[in-house]
Amino acid sequence: MVSGKKTKATRSSVAAARSSVVASKPKPWGTIIAVIAVLGLAGGVFGYAYSQIHANNVKEAALAKWKPSDTNKDPSTQLAGIVIKEYKGSRHVEPTQRVAYDQTPAFGGPHDSQWADCTGVVYDKAVRTENMVHGLEHGAVWIAYNPDQVKDDALNKLKAKAEGQQYTMLSPFPGLDKPISLQSWGHQLKVDNADDERIDQFISSLRRNPNTYPEVGASCENSQFLANPAPFVAEKPGADAVPMDGGKDESKTEGQQPNMSTPPPSGSASTPPSS
Amino acid sequence: MTSPEATETERPSGVARTLVITAAVLAVLLLGAAIGLLVKLPGSTTSAAPASGSVDVGFCQDMSVHHLQGIQMANIARDRTTDPDVRQLAFDIASTQLEQVGRMKGWLMMWNEHEQSPNGVYMSWMNDAGIHGHGATTAEPGKPLMPGMATTDELTKLRGLSGRDLEVYFLQLMIRHHTGGAPMAEFAAHRAGQPFVRTLADNMLKSQTSELDVMKDLLAKRGAAPLP
Repeated sequence: MVSGKKTKATRSSVAAARSSVVASKPKPWGTIIAVIAVLGLAGGVFGYAYSQIHANNVKEAALAKWKPSDTNKDPSTQLAGIVIKEYKGSRHVEPTQRVAYDQTPAFGGPHDSQWADCTGVVYDKAVRTENMVHGLEHGAVWIAYNPDQVKDDALNKLKAKAEGQQYTMLSPFPGLDKPISLQSWGHQLKVDNADDERIDQFISSLRRNPNTYPEVGASCENSQFLANPAPFVAEKPGADAVPMDGGKDESKTEGQQPNMSTPPPSGSASTPPSS
Repeated sequence: MTSPEATETERPSGVARTLVITAAVLAVLLLGAAIGLLVKLPGSTTSAAPASGSVDVGFCQDMSVHHLQGIQMANIARDRTTDPDVRQLAFDIASTQLEQVGRMKGWLMMWNEHEQSPNGVYMSWMNDAGIHGHGATTAEPGKPLMPGMATTDELTKLRGLSGRDLEVYFLQLMIRHHTGGAPMAEFAAHRAGQPFVRTLADNMLKSQTSELDVMKDLLAKRGAAPLP
């Protein structure tokens, strides 16, 4: 035991002595520090560049998810709670007529010939749905809010998303069943508060998405309407309202099947649609 | 003690030399990689579709929004004025800019990009790295989105005017609009990757400069001065 220990100690002291003889140099601290410093600096620069690019890429990827493209024609299908219905671009109604919309707020179907101006407009008062729907047909997103539930800060957040932003409109919608409801042609999403990230995702996915609205290239400008917006009508539409399919009165159908505008042979006018 | 030290400086051990050289190579590679990540050469994106956030995409998106407001103002003037010069000018501005917007939106569609900023941030592409734009603006209610643009209140005021007041205010707003948009066009005319984007931007710059002279002239004839 004792001898063993001694041997070890001797060996190590020999080794130490040897190394101090063979390689006995004082460590080149200057060089070591310089090398570490240069490497550290290079690593730092690279790390910074990488983290910036990486953060940017992550942001891009997050955005791309909600960006319409050839391979992702309607990104809104990934949104939790989205309601999608297919509506054809269509029939115009008179300023005095109502449409029996199948959704509240409506997001497709027959509409007034005057589209609500959607050049980034904040409507302070509630607007007639028949006009708003026409704005949707031109590619706009309509942000509707319940004026009893969305005020002050929350309302300002919505205004920032709409005011001056082309193809966007914001208006109160009295009696709305949720605080906020987003509409684009054939699409709707209801959310509870203005901070919900799905609001921006909905806008990114659907505003002027050429795959989801009927009249690509249509203008949002309508200063005539803006000067005097048609007011919201709270009463439910009556029996005389235009139905969602545009009704059987083909003479009022704009641009569709012009041949049908001639009066049908007697008897067939009241024939119910075959089912 | 002195002799081994001297020997050491004369012939540094192979290991140390290898380490230093490796470190140097590594450092150079890291720096090169970092530079590669950060630097985008102008014109380097000519073949492929430009990336989101690039000058090409940003310019087309933001200039479309800028133009659309110019068209809006010109249409208001054309609807309301009785003056043939102003009406002709308004038609010229609206039809030219609308056609240019169509070009830009067509390109954006080919590139699978939004027609306009999806998040209300504008001009973030007007810097070199494309990461933090020093010229970037974020939408705020009541404020113009980009330099030269009119606020909602100013547009409402324009809609309410007629006669000489309308002409003067329209010219003042449009002069400011053209002037404010010029730096964007200038930036894109030099920095866009796609030659056709550079050409359009350059063209805007030139045609709007001569249009500015016409408008200043029309304004002076009405005894008014541009907005401060």
